[in-house]
Amino acid sequence: MLSKMQELMPIDPPRTVRIRFRKVGKLQYISHLDLQRTMQHCIKRSGIPAWYTKGFNPHYKLVFALPLSVGAESECELLDLRIDRDIADAEILRRFNETVTEELQGLDAWTPTTKFADIAWAKYSVTLSGPVLGDGDAAAAKKLLTTSPLMMIKRSKSGEREVDLVPMIHSVEADGGAGELTLSLMLNAAGADYLNPELVVRALREQLWDGTDDPDLLTWRILREETYFADGLTPFR
Amino acid sequence: MNQKIASVLKSVTKPGRYSGGEYGQTIKDKEKINCRWAFCFPDTYEIGMSNLGVRILYGALNREEDVWCERVYTPWVDMEEKMREKQIPLWAHESGDPVKDFDIVAFTLQYEMCYTNVLLMLELAGIPLTSAERGEDDPIIIGGGPCAYNAEPVADFFDVFSIGEGEEALVEFARLYIDMKKNGTYTRADFLHAAAKIPGFYVPSLYTVDYHEDGTVKAYTPVYDDIPRQITKRIMPDMDKAYFPEQVVMPYIETVHDRIMLEVYRGCIRGCRFCQAGMIYRPVREKTPEVLDRQAKDLFACTGYDEISLTSLSISDYTRLEELTDRLLSWTEGETINLALPSLRVDSFTRELMERISTVRTGSLTFAPEAGTQRLRDAINKNVLEEDLMRAVQVAFAAGKTQVKLYFMMGLPTETKEDLAGIADLAHKVVEMYYANPNRNKGKHPQVTISVACFIPKPFTPFQWEAQDTLEMLREKQEYLSSCITNRHVRYNYHDARTSHVEAVLARGDRKLCRALLEARRRGFRFDAWEEHFNYENWMQLFADCGIDPAFYANRAWGTDEILPWEIIDCGVKREFFLRERAKAYASTTTPNCRQACSGCGANQLGGERTCCPKCKN
Repeated sequence: MLSKMQELMPIDPPRTVRIRFRKVGKLQYISHLDLQRTMQHCIKRSGIPAWYTKGFNPHYKLVFALPLSVGAESECELLDLRIDRDIADAEILRRFNETVTEELQGLDAWTPTTKFADIAWAKYSVTLSGPVLGDGDAAAAKKLLTTSPLMMIKRSKSGEREVDLVPMIHSVEADGGAGELTLSLMLNAAGADYLNPELVVRALREQLWDGTDDPDLLTWRILREETYFADGLTPFR
Repeated sequence: MNQKIASVLKSVTKPGRYSGGEYGQTIKDKEKINCRWAFCFPDTYEIGMSNLGVRILYGALNREEDVWCERVYTPWVDMEEKMREKQIPLWAHESGDPVKDFDIVAFTLQYEMCYTNVLLMLELAGIPLTSAERGEDDPIIIGGGPCAYNAEPVADFFDVFSIGEGEEALVEFARLYIDMKKNGTYTRADFLHAAAKIPGFYVPSLYTVDYHEDGTVKAYTPVYDDIPRQITKRIMPDMDKAYFPEQVVMPYIETVHDRIMLEVYRGCIRGCRFCQAGMIYRPVREKTPEVLDRQAKDLFACTGYDEISLTSLSISDYTRLEELTDRLLSWTEGETINLALPSLRVDSFTRELMERISTVRTGSLTFAPEAGTQRLRDAINKNVLEEDLMRAVQVAFAAGKTQVKLYFMMGLPTETKEDLAGIADLAHKVVEMYYANPNRNKGKHPQVTISVACFIPKPFTPFQWEAQDTLEMLREKQEYLSSCITNRHVRYNYHDARTSHVEAVLARGDRKLCRALLEARRRGFRFDAWEEHFNYENWMQLFADCGIDPAFYANRAWGTDEILPWEIIDCGVKREFFLRERAKAYASTTTPNCRQACSGCGANQLGGERTCCPKCKN
């Protein structure tokens, strides 16, 4: 808002701020493209003094790390934007949170010292439930995801190719049994080798449960919990 | 959200249509609510979310502490299939609760071709389709919007209609419901009887209709002495004081209008003789620039939209347009917000105005001369001169624009071949104008697109008695016009005459059509406003099987001695005015606009502030 902005001193050049936010619940059904549009409106109504591109169609320069696919939730989405007035990170977070619902809440805001390209791994919690799940499925799932080769068709911008998923899986933990199965997966999140957790679920469904996607038999929830540097130990910031 | 709904969201296209949870939606504690209201838009989420009327009424109802209004849209065909497969009843967006459990279920009727979706939604909700079948525990089904001015084709499916503007009327309706429930006097029948006594509410079951042997209306008779013989529409007299939302629901997915819609005034001074909106929204009532400026700021603060569209039937007729745009530009430029002025008339389009607005940035400008010759433009009272159009396009071309869109209608009363050829001539002249302009965008060629719709006679217009051209006539005319276009820079688009034909049947329909629509649901009709789902042959077969002659409604010249099915409604503008205007159309004579002179349409009897009507003598 104009009034909120006028009190702030301009800074030149603009600085970058990073916001960590969640995208959970109903927001899981919103595509990355729609999230980008939504964020433009959020920032605009928030009074965050974001920098505009100059040109025919001015808009905010928003950079997102790791687009999340529809149907997956996350506690660790990251957004970089540029600020052209003097305002504290905490105030940016406060303003951000006034313009979004709980399901898109901002969790932290800081001045970044790293690049999104440094993200190498992402950790997911995958919870499967339904009557198809049997007692031995935790062990079977772990074995399947750690025994190379596990060939699957991977789709990307450059087309389809068949790849072995196992080298793209850093670690697997599996827990539970009949009716419910919880997986903790550390998957590759670096550029072209990005492994979509949905593809891992598909591999499990095809190999273990006859490929079923009937929600009466099997449902699953995917939650991205954290992203990591190449060492697989240090959380990305 | 209901687990069952969530489970199918991953397997349908655009799940964001159904997931809800938008910023700005109203969530209330069910325990404290006395009236739960499901507001249904009988089309997709993307279209329904863009409707300003729904946004206003959603806010007006939710302002009542003990009323909770939620939104409902028509599920797309893939979702419908999943819902049937998994036995998921139609639910409301905010709570996820089944629509069947609501107290009141409202439908806004924006266009006739959505009627089949109304029935689909009732069926998916598990609510009996006809009013007569509903029991004490079923919700009250209410309709409103422009099509409610002749709701006879869907009269059997609705318990009640709200006629005219609903900001206050719907609240009164909800209060009556709450009061009768609280004091124990509520029965369905008694409530509807009481509602029929609130001004602006039409309970079709309380009026019996008799027909002559030839199918025309003999009489509408109220079944009680204490309900009005004719239902007069409601208006908001003072638009500055009318409720306007300060908070709107922000869709996550892209909708048809992702922008602030600022309603500048209601009504229209022009009186084009084919135009229903220009008649039923009379009298003209303006808001002041001060109020509009404040509303625009409020809406910006809660939406973050980067465009403000000044909404009205003809924006350049707003008396204080310059003052308003000055006020808005004083802060919108700093926020990089565009102003958009749709519905511009050619006679008001100036260089200065163009520089103020941003719609021109798109490179394309749209004007609506509606007819190809001055004689026919006079007959329909469009009051646009060829010189005005030429001046307007010259301004546009000089500013570097290359594309112009022109809207026309064919099949208008009194139309001749000459009028059709005139459409092509006008387009050719616009192309010539481009090359004659020394300041044109050199090295580029113009593109003039002419879009030609088929005339549909609509209730409450001077042309309400006119016959629509038959399909064969319209096709012949389309071909003839096509043969008149000789310039490759003119692109010709025409509407499917078949949809217009069915629309004409429904627009002037009576209650005899209800059985056809009921059968349409049985045969699975839905999304008939969508080209890919509309099937003309199926409609004709349906009419034939139900003993309905579509020509009786669409292609017949109605007698001025007939009682018209929609005359149970009083829209403010009187039959005598329509007859006078019709005679003037035949004489190709224009009528001055409301600001130049009052032509005595009768709408001033409804009252209104900041109107151009003469005050009514009491």
